[in-house]
Amino acid sequence: MDTLARIKDLASKEFSLDAKALDPAAPLDKLGIDSLSFIEFMFKVEEEFGVSVSDEDLKGIRTLADLERHIAAALTAAGKA
Amino acid sequence: MAERRVAVTGAGVISPLGCTLEDFHRALIDARPGIRRLTPETAQGSGVQVGALTDWTPGALLAEAEAANLDRATHFALGAAAQALAASALDLGGAPERIGVYWGTGLGGAHTLENAYKQIYGAGQWRARPLTVVMAMNNAAGANVAVRHGLRGPFANYATACSSSAMALGEAMRTIQAGRADAIVAGGSEALLTPATLAAWQALRTLAPADAQDPAASCKPFDKRRAGLVLGEGAAAFVLEDYSRAVARGAPILALLSGYGNSCDAVHMSRPDRDGQVRAMREALAESGVAPRAIGYINAHGTATSVGDIVEAEAINAVFAESAAQVPVSSTKSLHGHLLGGAGALEFAAALLPLIRGWLPPTAFLEQPDPACKLRHVPLRAERVDAPRAVMSNSFAFGGSNVVLIAERA
Repeated sequence: MDTLARIKDLASKEFSLDAKALDPAAPLDKLGIDSLSFIEFMFKVEEEFGVSVSDEDLKGIRTLADLERHIAAALTAAGKA
Repeated sequence: MAERRVAVTGAGVISPLGCTLEDFHRALIDARPGIRRLTPETAQGSGVQVGALTDWTPGALLAEAEAANLDRATHFALGAAAQALAASALDLGGAPERIGVYWGTGLGGAHTLENAYKQIYGAGQWRARPLTVVMAMNNAAGANVAVRHGLRGPFANYATACSSSAMALGEAMRTIQAGRADAIVAGGSEALLTPATLAAWQALRTLAPADAQDPAASCKPFDKRRAGLVLGEGAAAFVLEDYSRAVARGAPILALLSGYGNSCDAVHMSRPDRDGQVRAMREALAESGVAPRAIGYINAHGTATSVGDIVEAEAINAVFAESAAQVPVSSTKSLHGHLLGGAGALEFAAALLPLIRGWLPPTAFLEQPDPACKLRHVPLRAERVDAPRAVMSNSFAFGGSNVVLIAERA
């Protein structure tokens, strides 16, 4: 499974959403994901991928596609990609 | 203008004895115990042998992912509150800012906190779940009830150990009397059967060991053989409502909540004090205007500790004087254990049994009454009675907080 598919899979479980219907370009609030829920979700994403996303980077994440880019970069930096 | 009266128009129960008001009452009538031996997984190294666990999962109410983001104490609260609101058929859409939530918790989200500490100290990983704070805080249970049902009126959460949820009911009654809300969902919940919390309680040396013959019979209030309390978990909730509004909308009225006494011993953190209890009972009686001889049942605090039961028996005798010999008293903790923050609300539900169904719930396993606890007991089995005019429920807490509630027949 690629990074985006794994993120969508996690999000579908966390927020009881259909993974297929999750638009990676949709703003998170349009998906019904508020800021508190997103922080809890990030905790699980970080555990899943074994990386951490800084507070600064977190502020820039508006969509699941943004999140994928950060995770991919973090994986590359950690030599895990 | 006469002070507004307060009706109880719905009740919900999630308890070791059953997960509706009806099942809870049926178990009390049948004296069916909810106490059992703890599994090694629950007790771990705490040394605690028995507890009153509640077999209920919020599956019908919450998606799995949603449930995973709420503490067990909040699950119980949501379950009990949903039942109470459904039973009352209260219209939540009309004026939600006139409907409040008053809740009681002892420890709050014990499971959540313990999981966080396990991760941090146990696994040495300094990473707590981001939701730890909002899951564990004492007001999480009540706040989630408010959010789920959109109740925007006054909110309060009381954390006075074993009197917490009785205080929530009493203060909710006052709030409605004062005209600050038309209805309030009032109750309490507790879920602290975690290994570390059990270890802390065990250290206090107030918990009963398992009865050698029958672990279900480990809690024996007022009995010479009593050996301490048994911890339980669960919740109870009520819809309290301005009486005239309840009548006008044709609501089912279970009872009236008419008396609330609140005092502090101001003597000791854990040793109960007769005078403090007497003051709370007298205050509740005075407020309700019910004479002691018209009280047809007392649900005692009755934790089955050596000192506590004697002090409460003395306090009841001091308040009821010559009618103490007639007023039936029982401690239903013998069956459902001690729900701490949820105890006052659950025992208020037990106290409604005589009013609603004409049964006195028993003190189970009371085979050898302690002569130092001179009361008119309801030993072993429930007793059929004509519904009394009024009942009393006592909740006496660590910290010296005493709360007494009086309910009257509708």
